[in-house]
Amino acid sequence: MPNRPQINFLVDGVEVPAEAGTMLVDAAKHGDVEIPVFCYEPKLGEPVGACRMCLVEIEGIPKLQTACSTPVRDGMVVYTRTDRVQAAQEAMVEFLLVNHPLDCPVCDKGGECPLQDIAMGWGPGRSRVIDPKRHFQKPIPLSPLIKIDRERCILCYRCVRFSQEVAEDEQLQLLERGASTFVGTFNDRPYIAPFHGNIIELCPVGALTSEAYRFRARPWEIEDAGSICTLCPSQCNVILTVRDERIERVLARDHPEVDDGWLCDKGRFGYQMAESEQRITRPLVRQGGVLRPASWDEALEAAAAGLRQAGERAAAIVGGQSSNEEGYLAQRILRRALGSPHVESRPRGGAGQPPRRSVGDRVAPDAGGRDLLLGLSRPELSAGVSELDSAESILVIGCDPLHAMPILDLRIRKVVRRNGTRLAVATDRPSALDGGAEETARYAPGFARGFTSALAAEVGAEGYERAPDGLAADAERIAGVLRPGSTVIVWGGEADAALLDCAHMLEAKLLEVPDGANARGLREVGCIPDAGPGLSEAFMGRNAAEIRDGLADGSLEAAFLVNADPVRDFPGGPEWSEALGKAKFVLAISMFENVSTKHADVVFPAEFYGEKEGTVTHPDGRVQRLRPGVPRPDDVRPIWQVLVELSALLGDETGIDSPPEALSAIASEVPFYAGITHEEIGGRGVRWQDREAASSFPSGDGAEARDEVPAHAAEPAAPLAPEPAGNVAEVEASGGVVRVGTYHDLWASEVAEQSPALRFLVPRQTLELAPVDADRLGLAQGDEVDVRSNGTSLRARVMIRERVQPGSGFLIEGTAEANANAFRAGELVEVTKAGGEA
Amino acid sequence: MTETRMLFRRVDEPGLASIDTYRRLGGYRSLERAFRDVEPEELLGVLEESGLRGRGGAGFSMGRKASFLPRGETSKYLCCNADESEPGTFKDRELMQKNPHQLIEGVAIAALAAGAGWGFVFIRGEYAEVADILDSAVAEAYEAGYLGENILGSGSRVEVVVHRGAGAYICGEETALLDSLEGKRGNPRLKPPFPAIQGLYGGPTLINNVETLSNLPHIVANGAEWFKGFGTEQSPGTKVVSVSGCVQRPGNYEVELGIPARELIYGLAGGPSEGREVKAWFPGGSSAPVLTAAELDLPYSFEGMADAGSMLGSGAIIVADDSISIPELALRTARFYHHESCGKCTPCREGTNWTVKMLERVISGEATPMDLDIIASVQENITGHCLCVLGDSMAMPVGSMVAKFRAEFEERIRRVASDSSGLGANGAAGLHAITGTSSLAPASGPHA
Repeated sequence: MPNRPQINFLVDGVEVPAEAGTMLVDAAKHGDVEIPVFCYEPKLGEPVGACRMCLVEIEGIPKLQTACSTPVRDGMVVYTRTDRVQAAQEAMVEFLLVNHPLDCPVCDKGGECPLQDIAMGWGPGRSRVIDPKRHFQKPIPLSPLIKIDRERCILCYRCVRFSQEVAEDEQLQLLERGASTFVGTFNDRPYIAPFHGNIIELCPVGALTSEAYRFRARPWEIEDAGSICTLCPSQCNVILTVRDERIERVLARDHPEVDDGWLCDKGRFGYQMAESEQRITRPLVRQGGVLRPASWDEALEAAAAGLRQAGERAAAIVGGQSSNEEGYLAQRILRRALGSPHVESRPRGGAGQPPRRSVGDRVAPDAGGRDLLLGLSRPELSAGVSELDSAESILVIGCDPLHAMPILDLRIRKVVRRNGTRLAVATDRPSALDGGAEETARYAPGFARGFTSALAAEVGAEGYERAPDGLAADAERIAGVLRPGSTVIVWGGEADAALLDCAHMLEAKLLEVPDGANARGLREVGCIPDAGPGLSEAFMGRNAAEIRDGLADGSLEAAFLVNADPVRDFPGGPEWSEALGKAKFVLAISMFENVSTKHADVVFPAEFYGEKEGTVTHPDGRVQRLRPGVPRPDDVRPIWQVLVELSALLGDETGIDSPPEALSAIASEVPFYAGITHEEIGGRGVRWQDREAASSFPSGDGAEARDEVPAHAAEPAAPLAPEPAGNVAEVEASGGVVRVGTYHDLWASEVAEQSPALRFLVPRQTLELAPVDADRLGLAQGDEVDVRSNGTSLRARVMIRERVQPGSGFLIEGTAEANANAFRAGELVEVTKAGGEA
Repeated sequence: MTETRMLFRRVDEPGLASIDTYRRLGGYRSLERAFRDVEPEELLGVLEESGLRGRGGAGFSMGRKASFLPRGETSKYLCCNADESEPGTFKDRELMQKNPHQLIEGVAIAALAAGAGWGFVFIRGEYAEVADILDSAVAEAYEAGYLGENILGSGSRVEVVVHRGAGAYICGEETALLDSLEGKRGNPRLKPPFPAIQGLYGGPTLINNVETLSNLPHIVANGAEWFKGFGTEQSPGTKVVSVSGCVQRPGNYEVELGIPARELIYGLAGGPSEGREVKAWFPGGSSAPVLTAAELDLPYSFEGMADAGSMLGSGAIIVADDSISIPELALRTARFYHHESCGKCTPCREGTNWTVKMLERVISGEATPMDLDIIASVQENITGHCLCVLGDSMAMPVGSMVAKFRAEFEERIRRVASDSSGLGANGAAGLHAITGTSSLAPASGPHA
């Protein structure tokens, strides 16, 4: 954004400097003058000037003006407390209270209510209204999570503007008009949308209250605790509302570089999982085939014994919700105490996935996973979240932010709507962002690499052959939207050298939408088989699929699952279950018993993020700090501490006695984190790319010595994806067959299942089909079908979607039942009506 | 007393609504001249020079407004506000119904002057029959080459669309009209930006009333000087005035601006029925502060009405004679604006609502004189504080009634309080006379 000139203006007789063009209401703050507002909220877009609370007198303008919509100019003379302005302010408060019930003593908002504050600060102190107020049935559900009290509503438009201009779900509307106006939805349908909880926070009165928080606490009984939500890679900054050592509510802690002050409903209501009765709150050790509560000493001993026995035949899977400290200590246990390089945090991809392209100057022809990873992680290629605001174009490829990193969906919508940023979307499954995209391209499930290679050829990268016509035309359309030198590529899925080449050719920056909340941090502290802490050269270990196969064939003996549930969350769920069943020893750190802990010999209870101390790294490189807001329940201990003890039992004394020491151990091994401390991270985090230490990012050009790779570690795996043969149009779909794609639905998760407020959102398995395929297969909306391939079968309900490409079908991954991770992306599956013959 | 007919010239000529008759009487010559012989800049100059003031209510100089539109090649729009909804106003209906081509010619000329490629006529939904007439006239104009691409070989393009509103008073407010035209809920927008800078679909937009645009062919044909020969210095031209309420000959009368109001009310419209006297009158639709019998000799012009503390508005006179109860008239007025308030801004939404409740108590005798002070104060609190002028449109007339007829309000409170029978002797019948002739008055005035 261009720097605007500094000007001076007078507010209530005081000369105040401000940036030209700032709205008066904001500029006046520099002079310590508060102008009351209700409807003004810059995050909701252009000011609407509806509440009229911010009327001020400006010299030279006869009528009072709304300070929310008047840009400040040099020499402007503004009065906010003259008799005339005060009369107007008192009048507005009086008007707003004509229909407001003033039921503050029984209102959840009482004590933290802008209407109360402004009525006290700027109101006349008494009302002259003796006439009856308007009445509505109240409170009634606006959604299963929000109750609406229309009598309290002051019609400030905030919630409606959020729905229309931020979330763009357009569900909330103002119905009727004049004094009969009320907020509602078409036909009184429930307001179901993934971000709708934000309207609770936006509401300046008690009209929109959280079903989960209603009557749980008064503002004077609660404490705020700032932390980071680690339920997804957005890593939104949050405030935990704590009463009596329990989290009662989660609010946004506005960070323009991270979340823009919004939260998704998973982040807002998912705190309930911490209180779930099914939560594991003490260590468990399997005795007589059953997991039984044990003391920490017993559990640690059992864990150490199991891992010690496996030694270098142990492997660890570190789940995305783990902190940097947990990840660092887990990989350290594996690498140092056990001598095993088999640490993985990525569900798919990684070492053993040879790069698809063969020629080019930036990634060596024989490059392994580490070089590609280094390329994709380079500081100069990393886009910060707020760089989306200034980019001229955005490419979303291989991911749907709405499901994988919801807050990014809002961010992209914002820049497309307000800045006119050009958006291109290339995905297999129709994406939530399609509507705002200038161009969209669909490729067949499993053909992501085919598309990126076509795009690389299109933008002129060397070594790529022009794709077949249809695919090349799609790539050309997408490339046509992108502005060289001012593009951010938001990408998901497997690391892909072609994508890196596209970024180089377009001089674009990259922002990953990873599979795990702290995926970037875990990679950087060494939770990958291709590289050690700091993405350093290391003995090559096995990736997720190879670990699974190794456990199954006996070449690996023990599995250490750190906040990970691979049977549910990783590709090949049934194979994972079989592999863990065959493992000699399984140690799991988990909040809940699940399909993976079913095979565990020892389980350590995991912390909820609100109880955790440590750091995480945002996909854009921002290192953020987790602070405990509530005590850990029962016998739950800090996991960093448990890992330190386990490490000691296995013979590696870490010397770490506190979270700051754990961070400094990381900083000493990750050169580009060097010197980072909790103090430096503070409440806002710090992007490591912005620190001096970023210059220590490994060059990865082969200058460093390459260790010998142990023979057992580098067995080639079968490629997971089919060869890039073409786009969807060329996929022969016949008989009862479609090509299956899978996606992680936002609500197909343990969080939603364990949080009572969110449980209604947990999806049933659905098969999304194009209308022509539904016709071809004789299926109608809602039909139950069996989806089969290679002896695997699951039951799903048909959902017909116009925008699904013919020949493709999409299933949800990560469901508790009928989990689509049983199928490989791109696999051809047979679809038959349930009950019919296969 | 006679009329001065410019817009209504030969208005009763049979078949005037058809293009042939219109052309036979000299129609479309101004358009031909404007498109063939005059540069748009020059055209703008003539309009500005003529001093033509907007006939929709605000009375802003039409030419100046048009000159606010940025020059150059952007998508610019012209909107003709035909949402005539102000109670008491029915002039645009007759202008469109009887002489649609005069308006279309004006629209095309204004579009040319403003550089707008599209003209939208936003006509209130209730004027279904008039909209049909306009549609046919637009079709005829396209056929004759007066609209469309490359008009008369000039290379200029003006497309005209007649859009029917869905029935909300607020959509006559220019920015709400734009929202409604764009397919949104008809709510006023915050100004600035003014429509001339950012209006329809974000493009510079000129919005003019039907009567304003109908003046253009005459100005182009005869020149600014000729036009200024009519009316007063500050209010040049003629005005079609809708006179309704307690008069013997309600209807539309075209007069030179500046004649005494008495000549309109008593001379042309025949005054109240025998034995009745004018008690109060709205000079410019129901949103204008009322004037009294003592103010009947004021010049009927923009400045004359403004000097008297009221306004010429849309040029609609509603007369209340001495059979009318002013408190009930105030309630009726307030109820209209309460019903039509869009609800977007606080003072209008809550102020109209509260005022109605208080006036209802006045009528039912459940008020005290202190309530009259509160009513007056609430009107002041609304005035000048709203997002658009709808709130003021109630506050000004109601405030003026309480101020000028306070004794009658107090009398009403006293009388009803002591007489439990409710309505006073004057109530319902007189009120009916007024409401019956508001915006649904017969289009046929004395011209029929």
